[in-house]
Amino acid sequence: MNRKNSNKSRNPNKPTLAFYFLRALACINKKTSMASYNQRSGTIKRAAYASMALAAGPKRAWSRAVLCRVLWWGSSRLHGFPTRRRPRAFFHRRVRVADPKLREPSKADVLRRLVPGAKAMDLSRLLEETAHYIQYLRAQVLLMQNVVGSVSD
Amino acid sequence: MEPTRSSDAGSGNSGTYTPEIAESIRFEEEIQSLMRENTMHPGLEPPPVGGGGSSFTALLGLPANQAVELLHEPESEESPAVAIASASGGEMWRFRLRDPKALTLPSGCSPTFPSNAALVERAARLSVFATEDSPEAASVPSHSGDRSTKPKAEPADSDSQPICPIPGERPQRPAKRKEADKGNKVKGPAKKTKSAEEGSAKGAEENTSGSGEKLPYVHVRARRGQATDSHSLAERARREKINARMKLLQELVPGCSKISGTALVLDEIINHVQSLQRQVEVLSMRLAAVNPRIDFSGLDSFLSAECGRVTVGDGRCGGGMEQSAWMEATAVNEGRRQQQQIWHVDSVHPHPTPSVWERVDSPHLFINPGTSLFGYDPSNSASLHSNQLKTEL
Repeated sequence: MNRKNSNKSRNPNKPTLAFYFLRALACINKKTSMASYNQRSGTIKRAAYASMALAAGPKRAWSRAVLCRVLWWGSSRLHGFPTRRRPRAFFHRRVRVADPKLREPSKADVLRRLVPGAKAMDLSRLLEETAHYIQYLRAQVLLMQNVVGSVSD
Repeated sequence: MEPTRSSDAGSGNSGTYTPEIAESIRFEEEIQSLMRENTMHPGLEPPPVGGGGSSFTALLGLPANQAVELLHEPESEESPAVAIASASGGEMWRFRLRDPKALTLPSGCSPTFPSNAALVERAARLSVFATEDSPEAASVPSHSGDRSTKPKAEPADSDSQPICPIPGERPQRPAKRKEADKGNKVKGPAKKTKSAEEGSAKGAEENTSGSGEKLPYVHVRARRGQATDSHSLAERARREKINARMKLLQELVPGCSKISGTALVLDEIINHVQSLQRQVEVLSMRLAAVNPRIDFSGLDSFLSAECGRVTVGDGRCGGGMEQSAWMEATAVNEGRRQQQQIWHVDSVHPHPTPSVWERVDSPHLFINPGTSLFGYDPSNSASLHSNQLKTEL
């Protein structure tokens, strides 16, 4: 599966990304047109992350974590459902490999906070997830720029 | 006569294993008689019959001419046994030369050479034997596989290695333990090579340490002058893995390839991720501001038509299905409702908006009729919209 390090398997599916995101946008446009601007922007942001995670697939840890987070957001905010447990606690595993030799604990911690779902990973896995995450983030940003550009023209 | 007899003996022995064990004692006597014969032979030095495998290795120090002479020794019917266990290693070589298919090792044949079976088995596995027939290699392990006494891999390697190039070379190579590396190099077995003589020149012939990320476990070859205990090997593999990933990240993040040093590269990566996330937020705010003006009506029909059918064709047609399965599996009950809340498309409108699709550079799409995401039913105008999609892209 490294196999999974091949670029071919890692390139984000732009049509799939666009598909999910646009569908989300259409729905948001319909449902929350009466909502406030801030609420709408928050929802759109969540939709963006969710579509990114959907396009990435369940194989990546960050996509699973993002989706759980999004669902938790949605359930807590949009409909006021009391969540039985926070999805974050579900993913928190206290096992963390200590790597004193690599002298990057602080930066790796920052990265762990940034990349979703990367809290309990060793460094190599963290780097891999970061690379994947960056690819999808970039694709998502491009897509949103396209949408905004096409709409505002 | 000799070839026929050897072939007969070979064919007789090739298929049977237990009769050889039963005859091993008889073989020993024949061997010793032959050895006595060898000692009486002019110009032939008696190989010192020491203990265990050392005698076997000592006999390999025989010069080639003696080996050739031994080739013409009068043979008994137990020629295979003689070939293996006798002082005349030439017997075995001759046996191999004449009838390579039937090199069978009567594994219980001599107590003085306990490592015979494993040695020959090892030799059979090495690539020199690969030049000969595969049945030979197959027959030898099958016969010696039942041996209860399995000597260690290292001395077996070292001892068997000199046997192998016999037909082509002189058996002059001293059977040192250090030949383990050579033996490993010849075959390249899938195991960690940690020999104590890594520092020596022979051990460092392959100067690459391959950390096998593709393989189930790491194949590492220690470099010259580096520590070889398992901890440092594992750490080195891990470090190389991390370095490879860092290199990938450097390529991904623009402007990072010039920077050297892990800390700075990590800083750049962190900055990049943060900037991307900030961009997402800004763009979402802009979209929220713009959203009321967007005519998504055309998109609705388009999306609802395509959602059940389109998966992207870059070779992963199972991707869509697994996504749908994944969504089913991971959704909590209220979560599922939320998803469908967020992504449910209610109404169907006639015309799609092609502009957004055009800007997105896409590979070729193909229709996968099997997938149905979120349990949507494709609408009536599905085919029409799919055609439109194809024409646009």
